[in-house]
Amino acid sequence: MSDERNLQRRMEIVAEGFFHSALPLILVQPDGRILAASRGVCELVKLPWGRLVGNPVGALFVPALDVTDCRDHGVCNPEYMQLEIQTSEGALLPVEVVCRKFFAPDLGREGAGIPGTGDPADREPNHCLLYISDTRQRDHDDELRAARLAKLSLLNQVSEALYGANLTLDQVLEAVLICITAGQGLRFNRAFLLLVDEKSGLLKGELAIGPSNADEAARIWHDLAYQGGDLFSMMTSYDQSIKQTDVAVNEIVRHMVIPLDQESNVLVRSMQERQARRITPGMILPGVATIQSWLGYGEFAVAPLITRSGMLGAIIADNAISGNTITDLDLEFLQLFANQSASAIENSRLYTELEKRLIALRKAHEKQKEDQETLLRMERLSVMGETSAIVAHELRNPLVAIGGFARALVRNLDDDDPNHQYAAIITEEVGRMETIIHDLLDFIRPQKLLRKDVAIDQLAADTAARFREELEKKHIELELDCQAPGVLVSCNPGEIQQVLQNFLMNAIQVMADGGRLEVRTRLLDGGVKVEVCDTGPGFAKEVADKLFSPFFTTKPTGSGLGLTICSQIIKSHGGVAGARNRSRKGAGFSFILPLPKE
Amino acid sequence: MSKILIVDDEPHLRLLYETELRRAGFETMTASNAVQGLEFVETMKPDLVILDIRMAGMDGIEAMQRILERDKRIPVILNTAFSSYRDNYLTWAADAYVTKSSDVSELVETVKGVLENKATAQN
Repeated sequence: MSDERNLQRRMEIVAEGFFHSALPLILVQPDGRILAASRGVCELVKLPWGRLVGNPVGALFVPALDVTDCRDHGVCNPEYMQLEIQTSEGALLPVEVVCRKFFAPDLGREGAGIPGTGDPADREPNHCLLYISDTRQRDHDDELRAARLAKLSLLNQVSEALYGANLTLDQVLEAVLICITAGQGLRFNRAFLLLVDEKSGLLKGELAIGPSNADEAARIWHDLAYQGGDLFSMMTSYDQSIKQTDVAVNEIVRHMVIPLDQESNVLVRSMQERQARRITPGMILPGVATIQSWLGYGEFAVAPLITRSGMLGAIIADNAISGNTITDLDLEFLQLFANQSASAIENSRLYTELEKRLIALRKAHEKQKEDQETLLRMERLSVMGETSAIVAHELRNPLVAIGGFARALVRNLDDDDPNHQYAAIITEEVGRMETIIHDLLDFIRPQKLLRKDVAIDQLAADTAARFREELEKKHIELELDCQAPGVLVSCNPGEIQQVLQNFLMNAIQVMADGGRLEVRTRLLDGGVKVEVCDTGPGFAKEVADKLFSPFFTTKPTGSGLGLTICSQIIKSHGGVAGARNRSRKGAGFSFILPLPKE
Repeated sequence: MSKILIVDDEPHLRLLYETELRRAGFETMTASNAVQGLEFVETMKPDLVILDIRMAGMDGIEAMQRILERDKRIPVILNTAFSSYRDNYLTWAADAYVTKSSDVSELVETVKGVLENKATAQN
């Protein structure tokens, strides 16, 4: 093949390649006619290639493009133009045109025998290349890019705000919903937040934001239209504008309850699949109809709130007021935003939990410190007390001897003997010392007997009532025969109750096959008697005087101390405890407590 | 005339108690430790024993338990400088508990009372 042919072939390939470009490009001859147009141009103006080539390029544009300037001057002037291009359908599309002059290589004149140099530098610039771009598409792309950028920036702000500030959980939840509905945010009309309640296994509506009707919406959106700024100013302004208006949506959100075990429910599934979804009116999915009835609107988006540790809840958002369709972008951002929010919510929860634990820990620590101090103080006191007690006791023996014999001397000496007086002084002084020791020991000893005036009938009835259940179980009939109404006894009620309980337990034990239990109170001269009588076997005469002795027992597992303790308690109250066999059947255990003398 | 056994390791107190109880009309005998006291309970059959609690060797509570093991009818009065022994239920088996005091009259009155109670119980 000749070189010429070879060259021509290559040029054809270049032309073919040019034509296939999707970018709108036009090659213009020095005479202003179209030499070649790319596929992008054909598509833009909706004309086949063949109808473009050879026609004046200027006619394609409004205003008409004049490239002669380019040809006549050394440079394109202007290089950049905003024009409209005419389509075959008569439409005018806004375009940007960039004009680039270039030097076509001199190919000589084929057939005339004039050889070309093939060198572009040898010639004046003669051709133009027009780059055309569809500003519609670009504007749209720019808008999209700007919207994405704005939303990404918002997301960034939100995440910074939600993580950085010490927001309470409620504030975080509110911020999340505000961002979903705000104009600077995701621009949904209404947003509903549902949280998982693990205890009840339910997904429950928690909080909602949004106007309830178009009028409100118009007012809020108008209020907010000029509010720029960051998340916080947005939150505050939103707060004020919307506070009174979100009553309706919060009424709706309170009804939102979905059991988590309804796994096919669209919300639960969205959570399990970790995927936001757009629901349109025609969709038939489990749970959709319910949500639509709650919202009173057919189209909505759901986004799960998921963190690494589990499902927190879900967001439902809709455009019930404006009626705008939820776009892919809306859904994409709702999902992105939900992810951010979930971590923020979890963080806030963890933070709150941590704070609670910290407080509890601090309290526990303080308590421990206090306890330790108390313990130390008590230990010191106890050591002091013990030491004093030992010293006091040790002094008692010699004092008793000194004082005792001094008393003997006082008694034996005549009144007029001077030694009588001396001995009296010794007695008196020893008496003082003994009083000091006594008071000291009494002070050290814990005050065990706390006496109160107690209505004895009441005490007896109350104590017996504690056994009611057991008595019924064992088929024992209880008879209360209290005949000391209103009588008050000065005693330690806990101790007296202990005695009565002991008597009652003994009585119940000896009536394994049922019987009759009597609790009696009687007013005596100077005292009151309380007796517990059973219809058991009674006791043998030989053991009568041992009943209250320590270690005496008729029970295989008894310690033999119960009645001894009873007797001591009664004695410490200045009373007396006793036992008797009843004339008919059974035994009676009783105590008498003295009544204060009037 | 009732025989009272005084068991106390303080010689001056034994002397004081003897003096006062004799003055009150009792016959007395003394032991300076619990072992000797138990021996006298066997051999001399006292009507009542006054026991000090804190003594070298066997203490008064153990001595009381041994006395009561042999004969529950012998009244025992615990006499000690340590009023806190009252909180120990082992002392509750005693017929009376008297804290040591230079005024011996309380002890003497208690002895009389316990003996009277015993007499009433026996009749």
